[in-house]
Amino acid sequence: MLALQTIADGLVLGGLYALSAVGFSLIFGVMGVVNLSHGALVMVGAYLAWFFWHALGLDPLVTIPVVMLCLGAFGYVYQRGLIQLAVDRSSHVASMLVTFGVALMLRNTLVLVFSPDLRSITPSYSGHPLLLGGIVIDPVRLAALGASLVLLGALALILNRSRMGRVIRATAQQELAARLCGVNAHHVYGLTFAVAAAFAGAAGAILGIVLPFSPPDEGLWTMNAFVVVTLGGVGSPQGALLGGLLLGVMATGTSQLIGPAFPNAMMFAVLVAMLLIRPSGLLGNAFAGSR
Amino acid sequence: MLVAAVRRRAWWILLGVVLFAAAAFLPFVTTPFYVRVGQLVLLSSALGLAWTLLGGFAGYWSFGNSAFIGLGAFAAGIFEVELMKGQPWLGFALGLLLGAAISGLAASVVAWPILRLRGIYFAVAMLGISQVLAELNNNIDIFKGSMGLVLPRLSAFGLRPEALYFYLLLIATILITILAFAIQHSRIGAGLMAIREDEDTARMLGVPTERYKVTMFIASAALTGALGVIYAHSLGYITTSSVYRTEFSLNMIVYNLLGGIGTLIGPFLGSAIMVILTQVVLGRLLSIHMFVTGALLVLLVLVAPKGITGLVRALRQRWSAR
Repeated sequence: MLALQTIADGLVLGGLYALSAVGFSLIFGVMGVVNLSHGALVMVGAYLAWFFWHALGLDPLVTIPVVMLCLGAFGYVYQRGLIQLAVDRSSHVASMLVTFGVALMLRNTLVLVFSPDLRSITPSYSGHPLLLGGIVIDPVRLAALGASLVLLGALALILNRSRMGRVIRATAQQELAARLCGVNAHHVYGLTFAVAAAFAGAAGAILGIVLPFSPPDEGLWTMNAFVVVTLGGVGSPQGALLGGLLLGVMATGTSQLIGPAFPNAMMFAVLVAMLLIRPSGLLGNAFAGSR
Repeated sequence: MLVAAVRRRAWWILLGVVLFAAAAFLPFVTTPFYVRVGQLVLLSSALGLAWTLLGGFAGYWSFGNSAFIGLGAFAAGIFEVELMKGQPWLGFALGLLLGAAISGLAASVVAWPILRLRGIYFAVAMLGISQVLAELNNNIDIFKGSMGLVLPRLSAFGLRPEALYFYLLLIATILITILAFAIQHSRIGAGLMAIREDEDTARMLGVPTERYKVTMFIASAALTGALGVIYAHSLGYITTSSVYRTEFSLNMIVYNLLGGIGTLIGPFLGSAIMVILTQVVLGRLLSIHMFVTGALLVLLVLVAPKGITGLVRALRQRWSAR
């Protein structure tokens, strides 16, 4: 029973990990940029949702579309205005420094606007745990897992079935060929970044109802995204889902079996091991630049 | 090769000697605050130089060198506290060697697998390793990472502590500069630069790429570890979060990038500018400190992607073209 409970808790956490990492994975897979400000975007989403809940009394699950729109617009401008410039003028590794700089700026801005205090969102349906066959599940967490899965499914549909998704995948495979077919590659990169930022924002809104948060958490969420992506594989929602769920189960399992202080050490050990054994991840195909 | 390089750069070397000699007078002419700023500039320059042995010469950007600062600091700290009571200087000297040895050893253990990764993957793996070590140091009780260690106090010639550590760091920086110069102008230095430009071609032409990379990785780690020991002593009291700082890893890159990657003056220029800017100019604006640092980073990559030396070179070329 304890094992089942651990796995159930891990899956709930894993859904959130998967959703928070999918944008990071998309950006890395499509343009080869490691976005160190991804966690900061997640935190911006969390604070936007907190603001709507605190000021207007709106449920975070309802305001997800608004949060996604705000962050999507920001993501498009951010990519076209800063990241593309950095990639053109310098290199991909240097663009990592640009995203780190932006992460610092966003974190500082959040501290100035919302204070460094720990915040949390408590919707009306929280605090009434359900008992399902001997396993205790918080309805809030169940809603979070459900919302994460729905959003991931929607992204998979967009990428695999829509015209925009086809263009994004084509540009990821070969930028030059896509451009020869009339694709505006820079616009596609902007769109990809917008989609990624929007999903980071959605993850933030859901994160808000599950865990308390504060601005410095952004580093942790960037790291989580890193581990999820190296575990599952770059560039696909399926990879992020697998990596996220695995990571969630691993985190709860480690704190259950070894000790509550060790999930982070375990996570990074797995990260390093995966990079050495299979750098393209469990479901990944090797994108350009992995070697 | 080395003799010819020394002859060619005689004026630069003379300038370096004059500057180091001038720096030695700093503690006599300024306030303790500025001596501390000087300490930080020296530490950052030396760390930047140690980083550049692999990152600048061979193009392998480590994002986790703070792991070696932490390893060195804690190895020496535990050794000195447990075994060297009452003999601070002997303990410090042995601790310095031990810190360098442990860091070098750790690097040699991970070197073979991790140096097979390239580019962003190497950077990320180093970041991961530094995080694992920090977490372990913090959570396993015998390392005393969360409680902290109080290191033995050093004193000599009646110097104030900040002046003493200033001189220790000055000596360390001079030694590392000489070593880096020697490496840069030796056979291995040429090999490393070949690796940076095109590793596969270098290997095909008979450069022992693996051996060079591993050697430099270990050298870079050992030097960083020794600097970690000095830094730990200058703090007096260390915890995991004061020596295993991701910030350190990133600063090493930023200073090199600002000054110019792959050069020896790069880290000095970069750290002097950044430290003076962040400590002296922004010292009073704590609430937006992080914002300004981030904005500087962004500007730096966009305006001078090749650093100050690259900017100077480009300007000079433009002048001579006229």
